[in-house]
Amino acid sequence: MSLAEAEAAVLRTDEPSGLWKDAFDRFKRNPAALVGALLILTFILIAVFAPVIATHDPHAQVGNLSANPEGPGDGHIMGLDKQGRDYFSRVVYGTRLSLLVGLVSVAVGLSLGVLLGSLAGYLGGWVDVVIMRFMDIMLSIPGLLLAIGIVAALGRGLVQIMVAVGIVNVPVFARLLRAAILGQMDSDYVLAGRSVGVGGWRLLGRHILPNSIAPVIVQATLAMATAIIDVAGLSFLGLGPANPSFPEWGKMLADSASRLEQGVHLVFFPGIAIVLSVLGLNLVGDGLREAIDPRLKT
Amino acid sequence: MTQPLLSVRDLEVKFFTRRATIHPVNGISFDLNPGDTLGIVGESGCGKSVSSLALMGILGKTGKVTGGEVIFEERDLLKLSNAQMRSVRGRQIAMIFQDPMTSLNPVLTIGRQITEVLRTHLQMDKEAARKEAATLLDRVGIPSAADRLGDYPHQFSGGMRQRVMIAMAIACHPRVLIADEPTTALDVTIQAQILDLLRSLVAEEEMALVLITHDLGVVAGVCERTNVMYAGRFVETGTTRDLFERPQHPYTLGLLRSVPRLDRPKTARLETIKGSPRDQTQILTGCSFAPRCAYATDESWAETPLLREIAPGHRVACWNPVSTSVPAGSAEQGGHS
Repeated sequence: MSLAEAEAAVLRTDEPSGLWKDAFDRFKRNPAALVGALLILTFILIAVFAPVIATHDPHAQVGNLSANPEGPGDGHIMGLDKQGRDYFSRVVYGTRLSLLVGLVSVAVGLSLGVLLGSLAGYLGGWVDVVIMRFMDIMLSIPGLLLAIGIVAALGRGLVQIMVAVGIVNVPVFARLLRAAILGQMDSDYVLAGRSVGVGGWRLLGRHILPNSIAPVIVQATLAMATAIIDVAGLSFLGLGPANPSFPEWGKMLADSASRLEQGVHLVFFPGIAIVLSVLGLNLVGDGLREAIDPRLKT
Repeated sequence: MTQPLLSVRDLEVKFFTRRATIHPVNGISFDLNPGDTLGIVGESGCGKSVSSLALMGILGKTGKVTGGEVIFEERDLLKLSNAQMRSVRGRQIAMIFQDPMTSLNPVLTIGRQITEVLRTHLQMDKEAARKEAATLLDRVGIPSAADRLGDYPHQFSGGMRQRVMIAMAIACHPRVLIADEPTTALDVTIQAQILDLLRSLVAEEEMALVLITHDLGVVAGVCERTNVMYAGRFVETGTTRDLFERPQHPYTLGLLRSVPRLDRPKTARLETIKGSPRDQTQILTGCSFAPRCAYATDESWAETPLLREIAPGHRVACWNPVSTSVPAGSAEQGGHS
C-alpha cells in the first residue's frame, strides 16, 4: 500500500462530513440549544395541532360576560376572558399567529436583506454605496417606530404587519451578509473559481453565498424572536391585526393590562407564551452561532 | 515561422490605490508553443503572480492592464468581454494556485467542484461529468478516485488538494497551464511528486506550461526555458541550461549564488543579494537593479537596458553583463557594454 493509499484509508474512516454536519454535531452537544429547540418544537406542535389541543372554540362564548372573569378552574385550564371565551384555547390558537408572524416577517426581511446585501457586497462600487447608505438611513430610525410608520402607511392588517416587521429587519440582514461576502471575495477559492471560468451570478450563488450565509441564518432565528415581540408590541399599541376577535398574544396582553387586578391570568398566560417562545428562539440562535462559527470550534 | 500558441507583448499592469500608483509589471513579452515549459523566477513582489493574473483577466478591482497585448489563437485576450474571457479561463488557459488549502471551496464536495468546470465548459450532463471527474482524479494520482468525489476539501491533505486543483485545471484539456508557485506550500517530498505529475501531464496533453516560482531548484527540474524577472521586467531569458551555466545578468548570478549548495564548504556563508526590491510606486530611469548591483556602470543609472541577444536564444537586459566584465570595484574603470 502506497503512502497515498494509506493516507486515504485513514481519512476514509471518518464518515463523510461537511461544514453543516460538523455544525449540527456541535449543536447537539449544546444543552441550552437543545432546550431551545425543544421549546420551539413544542410551540410548532401546538400550532399545528391547535384544533386538537384546544378544548373549546377560541371564538365561542362558553361562559358569562364579566368584568371579573373566572380564573383557572374546572373545565377551563386558563380560565375565561371578559367575553366568556376559553382562555386556554385562545392562547393555543395564538401560537399559530405568532409563529406565522415570526416566520413570514423574517422571510420578508431575509429575502430582501439577502438580495440587497449580496448586490452590495458582490458588485461593490456605487451600487454598494447607494444600498448601504439607504440601509443606514433605515437603521437610524428605531425599529418599532419604523414599523408603526409602515403600518400607518400600508393600513392595518395581518399581512401589513408582517411586511412592516420584516422591512425593519432588512438592513440588519443586508449589512451582515455584505460584510460576510466582502470577507469571502478575496479568498483563494474565489480566485481559483474565476480561474476555471466560473463567474457572474453563479460564482456568487454557488460559491460565495453558501460560505457567507451562516451568520445570517443565526441572525434569522434571533430576528424571529424580535418579530414576535414587535408584533405583540404593535398589537399592544392597537396596531395589531384588524380583526379584534382574532387571538393574538400581544393583543390579549393589551386588552387585559389595564385590569390586572381583575384577572391576573389574563396577563400571565399570553405573557408566559411570549417569553417561552422568544426564549426558545434565542437559545437556538445562540446555539447555532456557536455551532457555525469556526473560530469557536473545539 | 508559425504563430505561437500564446504570445504576450509588452504587458503592463498598474495598481491604482488612493495613496499611490504601483507599477508591478512594466512591459513583459514572451511566446509559448505547445509543449513548452517556461519558468518565470524572481523574488517576492517582482510581478510574477500579477502578470499571470493579468493574462487570465482576474486582476481584481484595483489592478488594471495598462498596455500590451496577449494574443491567443489570433485573439487579443485583453480585448475580450467578461463573458468571452470566462469561456477561455479554465477551457483554454487554466491556472493552479499556491495554496491548495484555501483554493478549494470548503462547502462543496470536490466532485461538485470538478464537475462544475466540466459542465460549464463542455456542457456535459451530470452522469458523464461525474465519470470524467473520477477519471481525472485517477489521472492525478488520487487513490479510489470514484469514492472520493463526495468528500469535502478538508478531508484531503495538502498534497492531495493540490492534485485536485490540478485535476480541475486540466479538466477541459487547456492549451496553456499556468502554475503559480504550485509547490511552495507543500513539503519537499510532496513537492517532487507534484512536479513529476505536472511534467508528465504537460507531455501527455501537449500543453504549454508556465511555472511561476521563486525556487530555482523547481525551475531546473521542470522548465526548458527560464525568464528571470525583476521589478516588473524580464532581465534575462534563455534556456534553463544556459541561464544556470552562464548567467549573464548580475541579478541571475546573485539568485544562483544565494541557493545553498551541498558541494560548498560547510563554513562558507551563503551569499545574498544586498538591499531589497525597489519601491514600485515610481518608474525610475536606468536599470532598476542598479542600486543593488556590483556591476552597475554610469550607463546603468542613466538609461534602462533592454533585452538584447547575447548568445543564440539567450537574452539579457544589462549594460554590463557578467561574462564581459570584471566584477565589483574595477567595473567603474571598465565601462564596456
